[in-house]
Amino acid sequence: MRHVFRLPDVGEGITEAEVVEYLVKVGDQVKADQPVIRVETDKAVVELPAPVTGVVAELPHSPGDTVKVGDALLVIETEEKAVKAPPEKKEKPKEAPKAPPPEKEPLRPPKVAAKEEEAPAEPARKVLATPHTRRLARELGVDITAVKGSGPRGRITDEDVREAAKKKEVPPPKGPTAAAVQAPATAGFDFEKYGPTKRVPLKGIRKRTAEVMVRSVSTIPHVTHFDEADVTELLKVRDREKALADQRGVKLTILAFLTKAVADALKKYPMFNASLDEATGEIVNKQYYNVGFATDTEAGLMVPVVRDVDKKSILQIAAELNELSRKARDRTIELEDMRGGTFTITNVGALGGSWATPIIVHPEVAILCSLRAVEKPVVRNGEVVVRTIMPLTLSFDHRVLDGADAARFMSHIVTLLEDPMRMLVDVA
Amino acid sequence: MVMGDFAQGTQVAVIGGGTGGYVAAIRAAQLGLEVTLVEKEELGGLCLNWGCIPSKALIHAAGLKREIERADKMGIIAGELSVDLSKLMEWKQGIVEKLRKGVSSLLSQNKVEVVQGTAVLTGERSFTVEGPKGVHRFEFEHAILATGSIAAEMPGMPRDGVLVIDSKDALELKELPKRLVVVGAGAIGLELGTVFAKLGTKVTLLENGKALLTMLDPQIGKVMERALKSLNIEVIFDARVKGIEKRNGAAEVQYSTPDGEKSVEADKVLVAIGRRPNTAGIGLEKAGLKLDNRGFVVVNDRMMTSTAGIYAVGDLIAGPMLAHKASYQGKVAAEVIAGEPASFEAVEVPGVIFSDPEIAWVGLTEEQAKEQGYKVKTGVFPFKALGRTLTLGDEGLGFSKVVSDAEGGTVLGVHIVGPSASDLISEGALAVASAANIEDLTLTIHPHPTLPESIEEAAEQAEHRAIHIFSPPSTAEKTK
Repeated sequence: MRHVFRLPDVGEGITEAEVVEYLVKVGDQVKADQPVIRVETDKAVVELPAPVTGVVAELPHSPGDTVKVGDALLVIETEEKAVKAPPEKKEKPKEAPKAPPPEKEPLRPPKVAAKEEEAPAEPARKVLATPHTRRLARELGVDITAVKGSGPRGRITDEDVREAAKKKEVPPPKGPTAAAVQAPATAGFDFEKYGPTKRVPLKGIRKRTAEVMVRSVSTIPHVTHFDEADVTELLKVRDREKALADQRGVKLTILAFLTKAVADALKKYPMFNASLDEATGEIVNKQYYNVGFATDTEAGLMVPVVRDVDKKSILQIAAELNELSRKARDRTIELEDMRGGTFTITNVGALGGSWATPIIVHPEVAILCSLRAVEKPVVRNGEVVVRTIMPLTLSFDHRVLDGADAARFMSHIVTLLEDPMRMLVDVA
Repeated sequence: MVMGDFAQGTQVAVIGGGTGGYVAAIRAAQLGLEVTLVEKEELGGLCLNWGCIPSKALIHAAGLKREIERADKMGIIAGELSVDLSKLMEWKQGIVEKLRKGVSSLLSQNKVEVVQGTAVLTGERSFTVEGPKGVHRFEFEHAILATGSIAAEMPGMPRDGVLVIDSKDALELKELPKRLVVVGAGAIGLELGTVFAKLGTKVTLLENGKALLTMLDPQIGKVMERALKSLNIEVIFDARVKGIEKRNGAAEVQYSTPDGEKSVEADKVLVAIGRRPNTAGIGLEKAGLKLDNRGFVVVNDRMMTSTAGIYAVGDLIAGPMLAHKASYQGKVAAEVIAGEPASFEAVEVPGVIFSDPEIAWVGLTEEQAKEQGYKVKTGVFPFKALGRTLTLGDEGLGFSKVVSDAEGGTVLGVHIVGPSASDLISEGALAVASAANIEDLTLTIHPHPTLPESIEEAAEQAEHRAIHIFSPPSTAEKTK
């Protein structure tokens, strides 16, 4: 019988995912628990296993398609009835041109779960569209298989695709956030009026980032505090210990030291490790210290989390940072590796720039940004000397914290960075 | 790191300068990307240097000889013909070199940096090139792999380049062999077998299947069998090649058939049993690329491999090993890198075999369409009923066939065996790609007298309305 495998509700507010690739073809024999599809949810790519053993009958999506929780991901014909695999279909199943509802008929939720759904005898009819129209659909982010053609026998014209792009279903806003992202604030703008444009759908990580950022700035009153740390001594320590790090195959970075300093500051000023529970009106003080790192990858911004930084050595933190950023870049990172953060560090040093005002990762209450350390003339004991100075900026949630808190938190970090021996003497 | 061992950076690295690679490089450059192309042998790859182009030159020359021989019925009497193979090869080589220069100058006009040497991936963003000027390291933002395929070897009968040859050797022979055994009656075996037979060689085809071209419309194989017979080419079906014995510069190929063990003598043995993806030794494992169970690099519709930033096109990935598939995919990869909405989704690749008569097809065969659940309506029109065929001096072997969806009339496939099938198929390809209606074929004027009229008439025959053949509906159809 046909088993329709749907995108499960994996919790944590995930409502949709993007199909990255199918790991099986129509006609393949699959075993229960064998990975069959890779989807991108939240910020990770996850492989989902087949729920049952059988033969793959339908792959209703293509890479890049967005699926919602409860949508069919694939159809498996289980042993009970299916002996031979249905023939491989060139195109994914789509409505016959004359069938009125533009939905993938056989894939709607089963009316009666127990009823066996026979594979449709109808062939997977060709979409009546020219290669040019197909390309236009891709350009406008329209799933051509869902477009109702207005031409003879349901032929899809360029106009049909443009109409579908305009009307593209906007999911009902879930709150101020979703609305802020999806309410067409740019509706009515005629971008094409002054020259040619290219349209790329907002999806995957880009979309996720947009949503998180809107949620953050629209709920958190941000204040950003600026400071500078003299890291001349710290760099010497780093260079001295590099040999040991190399021996262990670890790239020792200033970021690892900074993380340790942050861990200590969080313990000393626990309000920076808190969250505001907007529903109950309580401030939640977390008894664990997990630091997220904003990581620039080809696919977009990801924030892997190093756990329990207060209990780890600087070398251990450096090793985990290396490993997590590699995983983030090659997309093997697990969703779990990017959850549970209590504070975030964003290091834009390597990319240049003097100052930046970071946006807090909601529902955390602060984010620290480190910038490029450069040699500068500074006054020490009445003399101008050359020292290596690293700018630091801290954005905090003014509902929970005040400017004085930020100044104290930041200066504790600066003290530790300027006198690395202090980390040995005073940091637990 | 050694001093001076710095890596050269590039936005797009294209590995392989064949049809997939050089087309990808040019398209990427057109879209404003900085491109480096690495080629270990000659620009143009297999197709231009040792495949499509040289073989078509030889096929044309051999066909011309045969036409001249048969022109006596038109009153053109040429007398005794002889073939100077070295002169023929020189002419063919001239064409190859001209085209190769053309590719080279197009690449330089588009400011593509061409590096001579063998590229080996060393990671997800880097590779080395070993070339005449030593070993150089490169780093890339995106790479397009287009390393093509290599001829599969017959177990127990490795290529020696003298007696046991592959298609590349066959296109560079210095002397015409008296007796040629071709192992494998696929596209390459049929094309080259036909060439040598026309030039005067006694050709024997050993095919392990029970019929010719079983993946195509079954009538095509039957037409081909008759054509081979008229060229005096012997085809032995169900033949399992066991081994070879070489003596006095000749070979005895041993094979078994259901009738028992047999052997055939030959001056050359051409092994044409297919090609396999050229994936060995290019460092795919270093870049973490996934292969499927047949050894092809796994890609999605946008030509992306399992490693972000690395793309693969052409013979290296699953699908028909055809130059026009490779070049289309090369363009898709380059456009995807440049952020354009390109895709290989729902793209139909037409197939062509330059046998005599030629064979070409696109889309579904009647059998495939039925398997997919379509109610099928087909129309067939024989070339011998077309005035143009006869004026060409062609005997009119073959047909055009249109396969359509009986409900709605969408064209699902076009299949041609006959004169200039390779040129005729583009109309079919446009029809299938556009999901044209079968009436679009009948209601479009096809100039008279031309070969494409066969497609118009085949489409009409589906409704029993073809003018130039008598094919009334059967009684069963009438009473329906």
